[in-house]
Amino acid sequence: MLIVIPELDEEQVESTIGRFRTIISRTGGESEDPNRWGRRKLAYEIDHRADGHYAVMRFTAGERTLMELKRILRVSDDVLRHIVVKLPPSYAHEPLPEPAEISG
Amino acid sequence: MGKKRGGPPRGARPVKSKPCVFCKENIAYVDYKDYNVLRRFVSDRGKIRARRVTGLCPQHQREAAVAIKRAREMALLPYVAGS
Repeated sequence: MLIVIPELDEEQVESTIGRFRTIISRTGGESEDPNRWGRRKLAYEIDHRADGHYAVMRFTAGERTLMELKRILRVSDDVLRHIVVKLPPSYAHEPLPEPAEISG
Repeated sequence: MGKKRGGPPRGARPVKSKPCVFCKENIAYVDYKDYNVLRRFVSDRGKIRARRVTGLCPQHQREAAVAIKRAREMALLPYVAGS
């Protein structure tokens, strides 16, 4: 899951997410279609920003993908926060849960 | 001595064992993205509730705590609320 800065418009967010998908595929991982939550209010301010674009990506990754992806995520100025979580095997093939609430 | 020992102390409620909500719904993985579910396990202040309040089993209490911390990191839940 990553939070993209609110200053970007839909298209730019799309291209940002696309950039990470390319990184995943280039380094030998596979990514499913990203689940966009849209623009949401943050629970607290991050860098004086009150909201951000949320996106959840599900992908398979080897060590190389993971290292490269984490490095790029860290240095990307348009990514406010990110988290990479390993899913338990039992959960990995269930459908993505729908976002519960999306605010303008 | 003279003090009676054993038995429930006066004023104490009888302990009712309630099954853990995650066990009841057969949820193996507590997802940090389900912040609406996790919200039930934090106080108004945003603090993680104790097991005796949440009624979760040890495994799920631990998983819920991890999920809450992840949700906080991603600004889905507040670190401090209502201050």
